[in-house]
Amino acid sequence: MGGRRLRKPVERPIDVSAAQEEALEDQAGGEEEEDAQELAELDEEATDAELATGEPEPDRAPSELAAKLRAVTSGARDVEQAPPPWRRAAGAPVPETGVDLAVDAARGLRLRNPVLTASGTFGQGVEYAELIDVARLGAFVNKGTTIRARLGNPQYRIAETASGILNSIGLENPGAAEVARKYGKAWGALGVPVIVNVAGHAVEDYVAVVRAMTGTPGVVAWELNVSCPNVEGGMLFGCDPFLAAEVTRAVKAETDLPVIVKLTPNAPDVVAVARAVEEAGADALTAINTVLGMRIDVARRRPALGAGSGGLSGPAIRPIAVHLTYQVAQAVSIPIIGAGGITSAQDALEFLMAGASAVQVGTATFADPEAPLKVLAGLAAYVRAERLGSIREIIGCALPPRAMESDAAID
Amino acid sequence: MDRDGSPGMILEQGSVLRSERIAELGTLLAIRAPGIARTARAGQFVHVRAGPGFDPLLRRPYSFARIDRAAGELELVVKPLGPGGERIAASRPGDALDLLGPLGTGFVVGRQTTNLLLVAGGTGIAPMRVLAEQESGRRNVTLVMGGRSIHQLWPSSLLPPTVEYVATTEDGSFGIAGRVTDALPRLLGWADQLLACGPWPMLAALQRIRDEAARASALYPGRAALMDAQIAVEQHMGCAMGVCRACVIVTSEGNARVCREGPVFSLGEVAFDAGEPATVGLR
Repeated sequence: MGGRRLRKPVERPIDVSAAQEEALEDQAGGEEEEDAQELAELDEEATDAELATGEPEPDRAPSELAAKLRAVTSGARDVEQAPPPWRRAAGAPVPETGVDLAVDAARGLRLRNPVLTASGTFGQGVEYAELIDVARLGAFVNKGTTIRARLGNPQYRIAETASGILNSIGLENPGAAEVARKYGKAWGALGVPVIVNVAGHAVEDYVAVVRAMTGTPGVVAWELNVSCPNVEGGMLFGCDPFLAAEVTRAVKAETDLPVIVKLTPNAPDVVAVARAVEEAGADALTAINTVLGMRIDVARRRPALGAGSGGLSGPAIRPIAVHLTYQVAQAVSIPIIGAGGITSAQDALEFLMAGASAVQVGTATFADPEAPLKVLAGLAAYVRAERLGSIREIIGCALPPRAMESDAAID
Repeated sequence: MDRDGSPGMILEQGSVLRSERIAELGTLLAIRAPGIARTARAGQFVHVRAGPGFDPLLRRPYSFARIDRAAGELELVVKPLGPGGERIAASRPGDALDLLGPLGTGFVVGRQTTNLLLVAGGTGIAPMRVLAEQESGRRNVTLVMGGRSIHQLWPSSLLPPTVEYVATTEDGSFGIAGRVTDALPRLLGWADQLLACGPWPMLAALQRIRDEAARASALYPGRAALMDAQIAVEQHMGCAMGVCRACVIVTSEGNARVCREGPVFSLGEVAFDAGEPATVGLR
């Protein structure tokens, strides 16, 4: 750092404010400045904060900074490191305590409640665990996982639309083995069942991910992402009943865990795909993935998203998702997990009444991290207010009578 | 330092105390939020919900422009960009604001730094103002701020009197005519440490100067400060929780999330491409 240097020859103060006030007639009056004591306090506090974060106030060299980044990107997160702000003792009462919210989210997968989080909106579960009590969820679905690491799509990856967002992340993930290695321990300790979202380009890719992640702590089922609009070929499987059935069959042969197939609304015949994968052995369906969409950045005269088009999510697509849930529920006998723009218990009830056995809260979490737990508390309140024996009583209650009969016959 | 995580992060209902328009720079909102103010650091940010509903849906990230732990107050410079930004900028005293923070990494000022050079462009003034207030009592601080015109500059009345303020305007309406980089040559030799926040082209220009210094001898003015410079970057953001990966940039260590590994990075580790953040997976 060398010895003290002389101050450079620049006069001060340069009064921008005065000149600005001359230039602007509507300039608002200046705030009162802090007094010296307050400034001194700030100084002390800053040092405290630096100590509190374990920051030794080093003269930071780029290599040190890079080393820290490397340590973090390669190392596992320690979720037990600091107590999260919600701090609930295990077993302490929550709004859903004492209400029968258990559902069969898939064949062979009974969950304590029907509220899940959607893939891509809840990371690896550990991130939101710092903010909310994830152990209250029915399950969480992890970020789409491929066999090899993916860097994702070019910027921009997100754009806001009316009551929704468009995204084209491009399945950025560190690859199946790394996800299992990095998060397996944390998943085992989270206290919430994990559903792994499996993505790929070829049938073998899906099978390879399931093989690589079999035995990972916490994992209770696979959700096949045959419907990602942001990856070349990702949606191909979900649009073609034959291909969707083929990938389902191959994964079923690899695993004993339930296999859930996530349907795309962009398929020419969603119901045909649903029937085909049920026939191929799927244990449940998720309805729906994002809807293809695009925004043009008028100022730059090109698509707002780096990849051009992206997937639309949020309340904007909810009626589409409810409609498809209603259609598919009449065509298949396996459970359906409803997804698409759910922000409240009222929204979730629409899906349940349309034939879904469970729901996934996704984009709403970005606006309100507590949205999934608010949906859960709201469903519990509904069961109480309606004096239902269980939430299961209303599943499919809005379907036409014939579908209700066939459901009953299967039970 | 835990670069993957936002320790101390909470959800807090803030209460707007004051709203003041800063020429064309944006609206300066003073917010009472003692929980977030307690652990907030310069360079970190808060993710602000744009109203109670889901339209507009996304929260908006704002870097702290003032942190008053004793009073439990924060200030943010809010540019009315998009429907969410417009709504937040229109907040009136007494309004509630749903805040998520503090998020991301902060600037680290070296213990041995005697002469601290801060470089700001546009709303990038926010963390620089926090640093100016925090550091001016214990070291020499010079703030260089650039704008298109005088209307995009920060008022010197809102800076500690002991901070030396150098202004540049592209139209020459105030201070040095040109950009911040035009004011740097005679300041670099003085500086022990350089911290910067501003638009991508400004940061890219800083990196070009750094590259030049890296190739030059140890006698290059301010070489050490340039090599160790820290910058805070902006990116379109989704969750700000590290899950959606909308805000990633490319660094020498691979993809990094601005909301978690950033927003403060080493100037040397960020990859630029023609004045913009370099991007992955071009096809």
